[in-house]
Order: sequence, then C-alpha cells, then structure tokens
Amino acid sequence: MDITHQTVPQPETALYRLAGVSKIYRKGGREIPAVRDLDLEIRAGEWLAVQGKTGHGKTTLLQLLGGLDRPTRGRLDFGGNDLATATEARVRKVRASSFGFIFQTFNLIPTLSAQENVEAALIPLGVHHAERRERVQAALDSVGLGDRVQHVPGELSGGQQQRVAIARALVKEPRVLLADEPTGNLDEDTRDEIIGLLDTLWRERGLTMILVTHDSAIARRAQRIGVMSRGRLSIRQDTRA
Amino acid sequence: MGASSGVKAAQAKVLRALYGIGTDVTVTTQPKARSGQQRPISGQASQGGPGPGGSGSGGAHAEVCINGKCYTSGTIDTLLSEDHGLFGAATAAQVARLHDVSAAAGGLLLTDNRIVLPSGSNSQLTPPTSTSVDGTDISHPKLGPLSNGTLTSGRTFTAADKNADVAVVDANYATANKLKVGSTVTVAKTKFTIIGIVSQPEASSPPEVYIPLARAQALGTDPATGKSMKGDVNTVYVTAASASDIGAVQQEIEHLLPHATVTSSSDLASQVTGSAASAAKLAGDLGKWLAVLVLIAAFAVASLLTMAAVARRVPEFGTLKALGWRSRRIVSQVLGESVTTGLIGGLAGVGLGFAGVAIIDKIAPKLSATVPSASGGGGLQTQTAGPGGVFAGPAAASHATVAVPMSASVTAGVIALAVLLALCGGLLAGSFGGWRAARLRPAAALARVA
Repeated sequence: MDITHQTVPQPETALYRLAGVSKIYRKGGREIPAVRDLDLEIRAGEWLAVQGKTGHGKTTLLQLLGGLDRPTRGRLDFGGNDLATATEARVRKVRASSFGFIFQTFNLIPTLSAQENVEAALIPLGVHHAERRERVQAALDSVGLGDRVQHVPGELSGGQQQRVAIARALVKEPRVLLADEPTGNLDEDTRDEIIGLLDTLWRERGLTMILVTHDSAIARRAQRIGVMSRGRLSIRQDTRA
Repeated sequence: MGASSGVKAAQAKVLRALYGIGTDVTVTTQPKARSGQQRPISGQASQGGPGPGGSGSGGAHAEVCINGKCYTSGTIDTLLSEDHGLFGAATAAQVARLHDVSAAAGGLLLTDNRIVLPSGSNSQLTPPTSTSVDGTDISHPKLGPLSNGTLTSGRTFTAADKNADVAVVDANYATANKLKVGSTVTVAKTKFTIIGIVSQPEASSPPEVYIPLARAQALGTDPATGKSMKGDVNTVYVTAASASDIGAVQQEIEHLLPHATVTSSSDLASQVTGSAASAAKLAGDLGKWLAVLVLIAAFAVASLLTMAAVARRVPEFGTLKALGWRSRRIVSQVLGESVTTGLIGGLAGVGLGFAGVAIIDKIAPKLSATVPSASGGGGLQTQTAGPGGVFAGPAAASHATVAVPMSASVTAGVIALAVLLALCGGLLAGSFGGWRAARLRPAAALARVA
C-alpha cells in the first residue's frame, strides 16, 4: 500500500445521491421510521460527520450508505448503482470493493490473528494469496502494527484492535470509509491517536469518509457536519471549498 | 449395538463349543431299531437271602446282558454308538464331493460303558461308569470336536498314530481321573497311552477321550447288529465352501442322505436358551430402540449446540458479510467447522467407547447358556434296583448349563458407523446453522453486536 502521496482531497463530483430515502422498521405491527425522506449528496473525497442522539437514525443512515441495508423507499445512488434496487449480488460486490467499515466494537474475529483479520477483507475480491499477504503487511505497517501481525485480538489493546480494524477497512483501497463511533470504546489519548490516524489517511488517500460520532471535537474535524434528529438530517457545518 | 454384538459373541462362543471351529454342518442319523431288545445293555438284580446251607450273610447277584449275551461276573467294557446310527465308509467321501462342500470328515461319537460285576456273593457291586469317546479322523484335524480344543499338555495326533493305541483326553477328565501324558486309559478293554491333554471351551460336555478313528472303528460295536464298526462313522463333519453356502450344503446333503439329520450352526443357535438367548433378545429389541433414542438425542444435542455456537457468532458472520463475503462461503465455513467438530467428536467418542467396553468387560454380569449335548456323550444312566442290583441303560438327551462371560464387542463396522453418524450429525447441524447465518441481513447481524 502506497501511503507516501500527500493529497488533499478535492471534492468535486457527487459520489452519493440520495433522493427521498426513508427507512422504516416494522415491529409488532408498528412502523418505526429511522430515516425519513432524506435528500443528500456526498462528493468524492468528502469527510462528512454525522451526529445526533442515540436512536435518531445515525447508524441506520450509515448502513444504508454502506449497502448493509436497503431503504424502504427512495433512491440511493452510489457511483451509478442504485443500492435501493440493485441485486443482492451487485450490492455485495460494491460493498466488497468500495466500502471500508470501522465499528465501535472493532468487530474483529477473535480466533484470527491481526494478519488474518485484515486478509479477510481481500478474500471476496479474489486477490491472490501472495499479493494478499503483501497488502496486509503494508496495511498493518501503515497503522503502526507491522510487528503485531500474528497477535490475536485478545492480545491487543483497544486502540491496537481499532488500528487492525482500520487496516482491514483500508487494505482493499475502498472509495468510501464508513466509521460508526470508531472511538466510542477508547480512552481519550487513544481516541486522539485514532482520529489523527483517520485524518491522515483521509488526507493522504483522497478517501470519502463518513463518520458517525457523538463527539463534537471529532466532528469538527470533518468538512461537513450533519445532525440526525428523528430520522431527518440537517447540515450544521460546511467548510467545503 | 456393542452390547448386541457382545451377546452374539457370547452365543457364538456357546455354538463354537458345541460345534468345533471349522465345522459348518454335522450329519448324523437315528440309530436303527434293535431287534429283540430295547437296550444294548440290560440289567437285572436279584438278591438271594441266606439259604439253609448258605455260607453267610447272603449277597447280591447281578446279571447284565449285552446284545443278548448275559454276564454274571467279570468286567464288561463295551464301546457303543448309542445316540447315532451308522453311515457307510464312503459317506464322508460322498459328502466331500458335493458342490458347495469344502471338506468333510467322518467321526465316531461313542460311549464306553464299563461295568465290573461282583466276582462273588460277598463282593460289593461297583457303580458302572461311562466315558464319552470320540473316534477322530486324524487326516482332518480341523474338523470335529478335537479341532475346538486347546492343547494344554503333550501333543495331538499325527499320521503315524492312525492305528496306534494312543489317546488325547479332555483336561477336565484328566483332572478328575488324575491322568497325565504317559498315563493310560482303558477303552473297550484296550489300554490307550495318553499323548496329549486338551482343554475345550466351557460349554456342553465335550468327548472325554479322543482316539484315532480306525481304532474306534475296530473296537466299537454296533448295538443294532452286535457287529464291529469297521469302516463306519456315525457323524460327518462338513465345512462349506463359504458361509453363504451353508444353506445350499444342507440341501445337498439332505438330497444325498434323505434319512440323515443335517444340523448347521443356525439350527444349533435356536437351541441356545437361557440368559444368553434372553439377553440377545433383550439387546435386539430393547437395544435397538435405545440406540435409536440415543441417536435422536445425540443429534438433537449436537444440532442445538451447533446452532447455539452459530448464534454466538452472528456478529462475526455479519462482519464477514459487511466485508463482502458471499453467503455461500459463510455456509461452507460453518459447514466445514461443524463437520470437523463432528469428526473430532466421533473419534473422541470411539475412544470413549473403547474405554466403556473395557469397563463393561470388567464389570459385566456372568450369563449362562443351556445347550444340548452335541458330542454324543450321553453317558450311562443307572438306577439301583435294590441292594446290589443295577439297571443300566443309555442316557436321555443331556443338557448343560454353562457360564458365558458377557462382553461388549467393538467391530470395525461399528466404529465406521459411529464416525459416519458423527459426520452426518455435524453436516446436518452445520447445514442448518449455516443456512440461518446466511439468511441474516448484514445490518441485522451487526446489530447483534450492540
């Protein structure tokens, strides 16, 4: 993985186009709207932070943007693919190649080493074994864990585990990095360390980054801040050029 | 299943004792009706009271008649075929030539009856004795009762013993009569030197003395005719070409010898009664349903555990789906793990099974089997008719109850079946677990993390 280039993202074209997107859950005959009539454009290379109270639809929005769930209605266009109506196989392919996920709880497989956890992201892409190992090593090096490749998650600290998760998200060289409370389980020092790392990677790689967080200090680093309230998104800050 | 096999093994042990290792079928025939008298030996006793010129205290007077010839003193020692009729010399060879027969040998199952009559009026009458004697075809050492014995001392017959007065005796008989190799045993007034002692499996009454067939034929008397048995046999031991041919062999022999009684191991199996047979039935009936119940329970437990394991790993599968893994690949992953677990569990179960078998073999209760005497050693039944009197006649069909140690047997088939079932269990449980995992939406699976 080449991380030597120093590119400041130049958001220009819209990578995402959401029009009238709603996600409604049904539970016991009741309808629970998690996202309501959302219209949104996200440019390539943009960093969008999403804030909001618990249960107001932040994670649901992230899952819709990451192809992990489908909207109940509306159009969700990503790079020319409508993720609302595309086949499951198509969505899976887009997910495998274009999206990198970082979760609050790291979601590493406890029985696999750091190397194997990162490698798991390349398997759906059919990358050859030797190349996989090379890219995994580069990804772990880029997050400062090149010497921890054989450690299983239980042998790593919380910050190190999240670094492994970041390496797993980036090893496939995705177009979008989707992070759901990536520092929620970390102490303050580690939080700053991880956010610093994400900031660097975003700048260096021209990633589109969508980050869900409660932490306003972290959100303020983003180009745009959107706040989810009762399923509706409102933009509070926009520092894009 | 192992218990059922163990019971069958116990039955086989009884049959083996009855039958001999290499013998699949025995051929015998009913004795011919004896003209003029019902028994080859008949006895009567009279007791004379002290007469006027009597010489003392009075005494017993016994008279024993054999084939019409009566004795009042001396030793009567006859070798008779009491339970079976005789075949001609060529019978064994005829049977051996049958299509599905591998080998056939003739033998003589005889009874040596010995009565010592009092020599004088004051002499005490000694009880009659009988010894079962087997005339063994030395040229077929793997057929007949002797083939089943284990030589504990001395040697067995060789070709050079064909016409020699040598004998092999049963270990129990030797112990009871304080005999050892080099001792002599008297059969039909002829002394035989003991060359070997054999131990027979604990079962019915094996022959007590084995002598070469030619000598038995020379010394034996046909009770029907009172003539020598030269060239005759009363039992033909047959080995089928294969186990599946036994039925055909039976039919072929019945066709060749329509009046003969043809007995196979399966016929004898039906005669094994007592706790071994009851245990076989119990193991067959109850054991079958218990095995089915245990199997269902094992499958249910394995399935529940696998599904619980899959449920615990739902976030893991959700993560893999988020990474773009195909559902098919996740199912394969779960399936592979389940089958591997099943295989390891199956092998561990086999190990535990062996341990269980060892424990069962240690603590299993002793069973008994009631078997009819197949050796023809009917013996002589005696009844005292009065002071000094004796009645002698052939014994009724005898039965013996023998102890049969129960053991659980483990066969390669059972082991293969156990591993196969474990694999199938893993496969089924894994398929179901994998199917459930694959059906989950990634978002729903990831939501479980929270």
